[in-house]
Amino acid sequence: MAISEATIESMIKDLELPNNILKTLRDDALKVGVSKKEMEAIIERVMESYKYACVEPCEAVGVVSAQSIGEPGTQMTMRTFHYAGVAEINVTLGLPRLIEIVDARKSPSTPMMTVALDEGYSTDRDKAKNVAWDIEATHIEHLADVTTDLANMQLIIDLNGKILYQRNMNIDDIADKLRDGLGVKISSPDAVENQLIITPDAPSYRELLQLAKNIHAVTLKGIEGVKRVVIRKDGDEYTLYTEGSALKDVLLIEGVDATRTYTNNIVETYEVFGIEAARNSIIKEAVDTLNEQGLTVDIRHLMLVADIMTCDGEVKQIGRHGISGEKASVFARAAFEVTVNHLLDAGMRGDVDELNGVTENIIVGQPIKLGTGDVRLISKRSGRAGLT
Amino acid sequence: MSKQVYTRYERARIVGARSLQISMGAPVLIDDESTDSLYLAMEELDRDVIPITVKRD
Repeated sequence: MAISEATIESMIKDLELPNNILKTLRDDALKVGVSKKEMEAIIERVMESYKYACVEPCEAVGVVSAQSIGEPGTQMTMRTFHYAGVAEINVTLGLPRLIEIVDARKSPSTPMMTVALDEGYSTDRDKAKNVAWDIEATHIEHLADVTTDLANMQLIIDLNGKILYQRNMNIDDIADKLRDGLGVKISSPDAVENQLIITPDAPSYRELLQLAKNIHAVTLKGIEGVKRVVIRKDGDEYTLYTEGSALKDVLLIEGVDATRTYTNNIVETYEVFGIEAARNSIIKEAVDTLNEQGLTVDIRHLMLVADIMTCDGEVKQIGRHGISGEKASVFARAAFEVTVNHLLDAGMRGDVDELNGVTENIIVGQPIKLGTGDVRLISKRSGRAGLT
Repeated sequence: MSKQVYTRYERARIVGARSLQISMGAPVLIDDESTDSLYLAMEELDRDVIPITVKRD
């Protein structure tokens, strides 16, 4: 006989478990429908395996994490450029990507976004296509032939009407964009359709050639930095995959579902969504990178890394300019890199080392605060203890 | 009073300290013929008679 939701609720509400385990426990129990006895047995087993999975106090979790990530790291492909699954977009994977993540680079070598679409857009291929054109950066070479007319000192742009129609653009928009971007005079002759003529301010060859070069840099439509957009059907909805990342701008576009749009650029995630999102992003990227290579690392190791990188409220790299370089202890920093400089600077400033960390205590030859070294004994004074 | 639960590090530290005491001649708190100080210390810990505990803060 199954018990009610309220009973399950009251049975599990006092358990010392993380919220997501409690939720799974409650949902699964409700779905299957268990009796009171069964529920008690389940709770007992869950508590047992939760206790087993817990780390004991004084355990050297950092070292264990380092080993657990480092060892699979040796088995990763050293240099792979892979096409991510089905979308023909090139992403860095394997060891280079993992290094990128812990280095907290400003932008990864292959930034990429997964853009989910709002209801109404996600099932309609044409609407999805329109959103894609709004995102993908369009330059003049996509739309037209540019000819440099040296005789008359001007650039002739022959626009392709069909492509313009496809991309939902018109000739006036392009003329305006080019005028803003280049700051020159633009005219459209009445005789020929879909043609623009650009004349440089000063009639010099240099100016004209410069103009012919600069015109390719003007973004006519879409978001600068997004080189390519691929539309793919996942399940029964269309999703856009982009090469290049500009999260802030993409979120503003109509039809984009901001709650499910993702970039693989961690620093960008931090700037747009904040530090907690950045932490989750680090975890997700690291797990995905490792899993893609067929390696399984317990997520808690990667969570520890992500926590250390983000605990100050900003994304810091692991290494010279981040965690290792900003340690409070002089000895800990000296042990990492450029030993003499750190000691010299500390000496001149008259720094004091409190000897709180592990590295410092190893250097001065004291027991470290880890494992048995972190246990302090006192005598139990309860008469004749335990003797009967 | 329920028996205190120690972590493995605390157990190791307590047994270590106690077996050192025993090997240097401290009176053994259990009835046992053995002369192995480490064994005696572990046996004492099992029976919860060691007059040592840990300070946690």
